[in-house]
Amino acid sequence: MLHIHQTTCISPQRTFPHPDLEELHESVNSRLSVIEPDYTGIPQNALRRMARSTRIGVGAAFPLLRRPEAGSSYSSVTSPPSIDGIIIGTANAGMEESIQFMKQIIDHEEGMLAPGVFVQSTPNTIAAQISLLSRNRGYNTTHVHRGLAFENALLDAAMLVRENPRHNYLLGGVDEIGAFNYNIDYLDGWYKKEALSSKRLYEDNSAGSIAGEGAALFLVNDRPENALARVRALATLHSKDPAAVRDQLRHFIDTRLQAGEKIDLFLSGENGDNRLLPFFLSCEDILDRDIPIARFKHMCGEYPTASAFAVWLACHLLQSQSIPPHIIKRMPGSTDPGNRGDKNTVACRNILIYNSHKGAQHSFIWITGTHALTTRPDR
Amino acid sequence: MSKVFVTGVGVISAIGNTLAENHMSLQQGRCGLSTSGNLPTRYAGILPFGEVGIDDGTLREKLRVQDPGVTRTSLLALHALKEAIRDAGMIPSQLGAGDTALVSANTVGGMCLMDELYRDVNRDANGSVFLSSYDPASINIYLQSYYGIKGIVNTIDTACSSAANAIMYGARLIRNGLAKRVLAGGADSLSKFTINGFNALHILSPEICTPFDRDRKGLTLGEGAAFLVLEREEDIRDKKVYAEVSGFANSTDAFHPSSLSAEGEGPYLAMKGALASAGLKEDKIDFINAHGTGTENNDEVESRAMIRLFGEPPPFLSTKANIGHTLGASGAIEAVYTLLSLVHQEVYAGLHCKHPIPGTGLLPIQAYRRLPLHHAMSNSFGFGGNCTSLIFSKAR
Repeated sequence: MLHIHQTTCISPQRTFPHPDLEELHESVNSRLSVIEPDYTGIPQNALRRMARSTRIGVGAAFPLLRRPEAGSSYSSVTSPPSIDGIIIGTANAGMEESIQFMKQIIDHEEGMLAPGVFVQSTPNTIAAQISLLSRNRGYNTTHVHRGLAFENALLDAAMLVRENPRHNYLLGGVDEIGAFNYNIDYLDGWYKKEALSSKRLYEDNSAGSIAGEGAALFLVNDRPENALARVRALATLHSKDPAAVRDQLRHFIDTRLQAGEKIDLFLSGENGDNRLLPFFLSCEDILDRDIPIARFKHMCGEYPTASAFAVWLACHLLQSQSIPPHIIKRMPGSTDPGNRGDKNTVACRNILIYNSHKGAQHSFIWITGTHALTTRPDR
Repeated sequence: MSKVFVTGVGVISAIGNTLAENHMSLQQGRCGLSTSGNLPTRYAGILPFGEVGIDDGTLREKLRVQDPGVTRTSLLALHALKEAIRDAGMIPSQLGAGDTALVSANTVGGMCLMDELYRDVNRDANGSVFLSSYDPASINIYLQSYYGIKGIVNTIDTACSSAANAIMYGARLIRNGLAKRVLAGGADSLSKFTINGFNALHILSPEICTPFDRDRKGLTLGEGAAFLVLEREEDIRDKKVYAEVSGFANSTDAFHPSSLSAEGEGPYLAMKGALASAGLKEDKIDFINAHGTGTENNDEVESRAMIRLFGEPPPFLSTKANIGHTLGASGAIEAVYTLLSLVHQEVYAGLHCKHPIPGTGLLPIQAYRRLPLHHAMSNSFGFGGNCTSLIFSKAR
């Protein structure tokens, strides 16, 4: 589908600018909030006016844009090529600003209002701000299809690199925890009622997950030379039936993997919500017993574009050649089944990500590394 | 790569609930904008709006929708989509096939229920029935489950160019072999939220909007929905065909979050890119359904960009003078109007414009007339500088 050449990620973990995933940052007040960088190099006046989701989106995008300013915290990043288009997936960018504007409307009884937050209330603000800062007049779009917003952005990028050989695109998935969107999803039962540390996310047998957020950005094109990883295939599905999701996975494996290829790591979007567990378990059920399983939501929390974090993580795992023990759910060959990784080495080249949003929107993303990855319990 | 054709359309707007009603209104030069509306805003009865003439209860009854969490935006979308599906003669087995995609656009989602949303965000318990109906994706998620769509489903929000991008994305899905047929469109309903937003920006016209007029005072908001059924050339056989989706391009103005650059770089690049994509020279475009919001900024910039690209632009108009600016629906509704012009070989009157903008001298089409049309363009530009142009070409 496409080749990933550079990635950045602002997340609740130490992922930016230099990833260090050994130490796990845990949730505060049932929220996994991003560690915001200092944004050195981004014009202060622009930064001040940005909504939070725009700030993290632009902050993560900045190193991937041409010519980072000398002396900025981004200057260690090698100068990327020029960008021919910007494709962002986001489900709730602009939501906070929308609600702030509603508050003005109600407080001032529809009197004369300041338009600033209204202008920022459209979800395309992130992609628009990136284009403004980089003076990019190319293709620019924003996919907002809730739990499949990033997947549609990924599909768009895959079509673009096919339609326009040798062009480079900036692809991203960005969402924030806003006080308001948190409340809407909390009322709707998607977050835990009792405070829970993200370190115990998978142990608690109750409904709801922990809120998360993040911005993961990718520089992509059609060229395999020097790529970090390759997205081989994507499948999406709307269903509330675990059996339908399992069938989709079986079909995906049967039709997409070539003879002799196998999944080396299953990266699961399990999120601690016991109502969603059947989706993940029924998928794990049909995997070969020797396939290791890892999880990522204890790192980034639950949010509609969390699959972008998973893609970033997959790229990182394939690059760093090591798997942090805290992500491992099942490491076959271990003396203690279900043990978190006392196994020595497993060759790993193909990572399959399965994510589910609210048990209604599902995706499978298959990523292949350019080198074989050796999993080892590195502590 | 497969050629993409439009085989069915559905539309609901302030000038009609069906394609036939919209067509008749356009032919008659009817304006659906008025101050007589019933909206829950203090501007009701003061500012003109382009309201769809059916209330939520009647829409629900007509569509037999029981679920109380379904918003007006979803109802309008379903109304238009039903008509498009019927028009294209799509059968349930096609709708439920894995190669049928649904791509639509909107900007406010369920925020037509602004007061309910505001109550929900400030509540500790007992949320309303609308908790999963506020985001833009809620409309397509509803339509997906209504029809059991199994192919690719997407929602696009690039502000006022959203639906044009949905049509473009849909056509590209077909060209890339990712779908055989696509339901592509957009929907938005009038909301206290957008009314106050555009009012705060001082771009809501106190009177009915007058696109491309020297004395224009801003835009008039409207609501509605439209869907196009897109199919591959090889699957069409003897089906009725409206036109080919022959070209499209998306470019960014990269100038300002809420206004276009004076030289109109984004609009110029979108129109130019669409011509390149269709493999057409400038002089092949016979008609343009312009973005033409009626704001000082847009109409002048769009005029200059048209002059820069075409020299002497082809006949053009803005149908926002008939239905208002329907935001996330506008790209789809205006695409349908462009298709009507192509199919019936006619152009409609660009209403309310008396005097050309000084320096451009451009006047929209002044009266209905028959006109041979081969290639027509539809423009949509949005906040954030998101500009998209589509080209439709007469089928054979």
